[in-house]
Amino acid sequence: MKSSKKELILSRTLAALAVAAMWSTVQAQEAPDIGPVAMPGPGTSVSVGVGVASGDERDRARFGMFNGLRRHDVNGLIGFRYEQPYNASGLGLKLEGRNLGLDNRELNFVYRRPGDVKVTADYSEITRHDPRTINTSLAGAGTTNPTVNPGGVLIAPGTGQNLNLELKRKGIGVGVEKWLTRDLQLEFAFKNEEKDGSRLFGRGFACSRYWADAGVCSSATANAWGVLMLPEPVDSVIRQIDARLNYASGPLVLSGGYYGSFYVNHNGSIRPTVNGPLGNQFTDTGTITNDAGLLSALALPVALQPDNQAHQLFVAGNYALTHSTRVNFKYAYTTARQDESFSGMGLTGAPGGRDNLGGRVDTTKAQVGFSTRPLQKLHVSGDVAYEKKDNKTPLDLYNAEPVCVPPAVFSSTTRSCSPASGTATRFYTNGNMSPKKYEAKLQGTYFLTPMYAAVLGANYEQEDFGQWTPTDVAGGVSGLKQKLNETGWRAELRRTASETFTGSVAYHQSRRKGDSPWLQPVNFVSTGGQTGVTEVSADQIYSRTAIFPFIYMDRERDKIRAIGNWTPMEKLSLQVFADRGIDRYHAPTDHGLRSFQMGTVSLDASYALSDAWKLSAFASRGRQTVDAGHSTGYDAILKDTATSFGFGVKGRPMGQLQVGADLTWLDDLLKYEQTADPTSSANATLLASTGGLPDVTYRLTRLNLYGEYALQKNAYVRLDYIHHRTYFNEWTYNFNGTPYLYSDNTTLDAKQRQTVNFIGATYVYKFQ
Amino acid sequence: MRQTFISLAAGLLFAALSAFAIQARAQALDSKVCQNCHEDKVKNFQSSVHGQNVPKTPQGAGGCTVCHNEGADEHVKNNGGSEIRNPGAKTANAEETNELCLGCHKGGSKRTHWDTSTHAERGNSCTSCHTMHQPDKVLTKLTQPEVCFKCHKQQRVEVNRMFRHPILEGKVVCSDCHNPHGSIGRALMKRDSVVETCYQCHAEKRGPFVHPHDPVTEDCTLCHNPHGTVADNMLKLRPPFLCHQCHTPHGGNIAVLRGQTGVGQAQITGKSGVNYTQGRGCLNCHTQIHGTNNPSATNPTPQFMLR
Repeated sequence: MKSSKKELILSRTLAALAVAAMWSTVQAQEAPDIGPVAMPGPGTSVSVGVGVASGDERDRARFGMFNGLRRHDVNGLIGFRYEQPYNASGLGLKLEGRNLGLDNRELNFVYRRPGDVKVTADYSEITRHDPRTINTSLAGAGTTNPTVNPGGVLIAPGTGQNLNLELKRKGIGVGVEKWLTRDLQLEFAFKNEEKDGSRLFGRGFACSRYWADAGVCSSATANAWGVLMLPEPVDSVIRQIDARLNYASGPLVLSGGYYGSFYVNHNGSIRPTVNGPLGNQFTDTGTITNDAGLLSALALPVALQPDNQAHQLFVAGNYALTHSTRVNFKYAYTTARQDESFSGMGLTGAPGGRDNLGGRVDTTKAQVGFSTRPLQKLHVSGDVAYEKKDNKTPLDLYNAEPVCVPPAVFSSTTRSCSPASGTATRFYTNGNMSPKKYEAKLQGTYFLTPMYAAVLGANYEQEDFGQWTPTDVAGGVSGLKQKLNETGWRAELRRTASETFTGSVAYHQSRRKGDSPWLQPVNFVSTGGQTGVTEVSADQIYSRTAIFPFIYMDRERDKIRAIGNWTPMEKLSLQVFADRGIDRYHAPTDHGLRSFQMGTVSLDASYALSDAWKLSAFASRGRQTVDAGHSTGYDAILKDTATSFGFGVKGRPMGQLQVGADLTWLDDLLKYEQTADPTSSANATLLASTGGLPDVTYRLTRLNLYGEYALQKNAYVRLDYIHHRTYFNEWTYNFNGTPYLYSDNTTLDAKQRQTVNFIGATYVYKFQ
Repeated sequence: MRQTFISLAAGLLFAALSAFAIQARAQALDSKVCQNCHEDKVKNFQSSVHGQNVPKTPQGAGGCTVCHNEGADEHVKNNGGSEIRNPGAKTANAEETNELCLGCHKGGSKRTHWDTSTHAERGNSCTSCHTMHQPDKVLTKLTQPEVCFKCHKQQRVEVNRMFRHPILEGKVVCSDCHNPHGSIGRALMKRDSVVETCYQCHAEKRGPFVHPHDPVTEDCTLCHNPHGTVADNMLKLRPPFLCHQCHTPHGGNIAVLRGQTGVGQAQITGKSGVNYTQGRGCLNCHTQIHGTNNPSATNPTPQFMLR
């Protein structure tokens, strides 16, 4: 194929990258680019343009969540590339900038001599615009000292000020790869990422009888509670250093070095001022809360994430024992520490005058693997791995609970001690369990013919969560396990090395079982302050209403997966993909997670109408189903069905002109099928009355059109049009026009239907 | 000057040895000859790092025949009428293709675990993902996911969901979290485990905390699907359903919404149905769900991630 005289020796991506979200997921297998209308090449070029988006910030909330096009109607589309071709000594240099007019701009620099040295530097920004708009009277939102109800509770929801939360990340990275000798390479990378802004956060507290009896609050009435929206102030830095020496000579490849990760948070805690009264969703009926104890509890400091750091030393490698037998390995030792001063975070009340947690977790990980071909037709591989986390964090009495001192007993009905005079406060410690994990896998591939291979594999995993800290209390769960075993196998039939059809079908099964008795938490409150767990049999711990964490439950996993790639003719290729899996969970209860099912079917096609026109399309449907039972409230079948299709076309109607279109459509439907627990007639009545939770639908239609026209040999214009339409009927913050109200009548909302039309025009010029 | 000369000589010697190691029988064939029939492929090749006529590149080591060696002379003599070795062909043997590429690319730290990686065990070759004669989409952030989605269909749909990482915008790409060339982490994680991979950008979750939430240090994907979901924060399920999979809740409530028929004060109060279903759900009160470092032993203490 000959190229046009006006062929652009420019990078098409330079302009495309200037407009966010210009690529499409509509890519079938084997869909080649259209050809040489715009070929990449070294040189210096600039891209300057303007993009106009319809609507306002609320219309663009979902469209502009990450692409820098939410805030302004008109945006500059600016990019450049400076590329110095490799010179006689093999040195090349490239500097590229994209999205420079947007708040997700980035710069990349590469300087390299292949096989000798590579130096990179990059700068990147991205702002996440929260897709919902907040209406609130909160003063100091996004600071560490916000004030709730600065002028009293909002008279009516929606009468406060609108607030859009943003979280900006700015990252700088540098990297060096240098071959010091023929066999020895130094690799170094450093990244500094600053995070600044605020994100959705909050706090809540209910003054139950339990807490009222403990003196926390004075009233335990049904309305003595508060839920507040307090944006989390974010001002932090993550730094990473990765330095390693790599050795490669003959049969040995070795890599060893240091990886350090450092987190620094400039904010220690949120210390809100909470003014009463609270509306508590009954402002319209005149019911308000003004309990001084409750307001004080809500004003207690909320800890933000403390500074922490991790240091890892590691060695990894690969050794060829023979031409067909290789072993690989890795050993890594990591120590993670967290010792930020409590007082420095603005937190008080630590036990025994302790000023920091002294948190330390040392992790050792080792792995050895092999790959061999003992027979011409047989390939075998496998590995074993070991991981141990040694938690060296000291124990202290951080936890206080009101308990029932015998002869007083705890009433699960009133959630308080009877008589109330038997209530006292007792303390217990944090936990420092040290889990271990062993994993192994083995797989054999037998080549039945040059095209067909049969695969059989097995895997084993043992997890030991460690002994429960005897002075700690397991709260909120019905039982724990110390050890789990999982064994599995997989079989696959594969066809490869064919021009017309390749594919595979595979089945995988695994079974996870507890390898130790159930551990039943001692009821700290009703026993008057006893801690720890008790080993019990499944029969002893059985309860119809118990909820066991699913990571400790026995699990049967079955999965089947098939993929086929068919090229019936040179112009046409088809791909079909299907998988189906089910996890069944078992524990001594009738409730909790029972099963998780998933399945996907997908069909892709690409067709070359001619050398100048290519088509591609896909259709996909997947469903995930969770069957879980709440202990006493409901049984739920939760279904998420995602249907998606896409269509793409690229063409070159004339030498100077290239056009393309991508359409992506997604319909994601979530169903929440609740059934009231048979023991609760009240819930059955309520469920009948409410009709249950409505479906949630997220629907996306995105159409991208573009055209590139060569004005001259070294310049072209690009036009982009994006039609972005979403529908999202979530009830998280608003049901059918009735908003969820925070206690100060703060509300969150977003337009259910959002449509954005974006037009961009870019001029790209290459300096000659 | 002398040092430069020695370096250059050493470089050239190494390039020559590398080429020899790739395939001792490689015969240098001027790429101009190939260009006569394969113009686009050669031009694309020449604009890539491989195609630079400098030491330690295929072009520098002999051009097209460094990779397309067997049958090259006959191929040219017969005007393309006979077969030539093509490592990128569908019919190529994956192990032979990989061996060819690893002849130059075996060093560094990223491919030490290729042999036991899922990708290798599934019969993939380097050219399953990388292209030599077209711009290599894997190497550009904005186009890399297209390559991965050729096989990972479920993820292709998930990245279009409401709550997701900025993958569509090219700000987070597959290789930020996965090492497709092999690692010791599950699902080819870039770091040694899922949590350590997530800590690259979310190091604040590492702790350790005074009050930890154990699944956080076990596996982030117990609660999150990092490719995208239709629940805030990429949660796999909306609270309270997510939380109730593991936890005994307070009270036998069902999930209800403010404004629904039959929902009154009893369902809106405190820890009841509306307040654990709407807003941030259970997280309305259990706000520091990844763990809190609040040491206060004063009631109400921050245990259960309350503050």
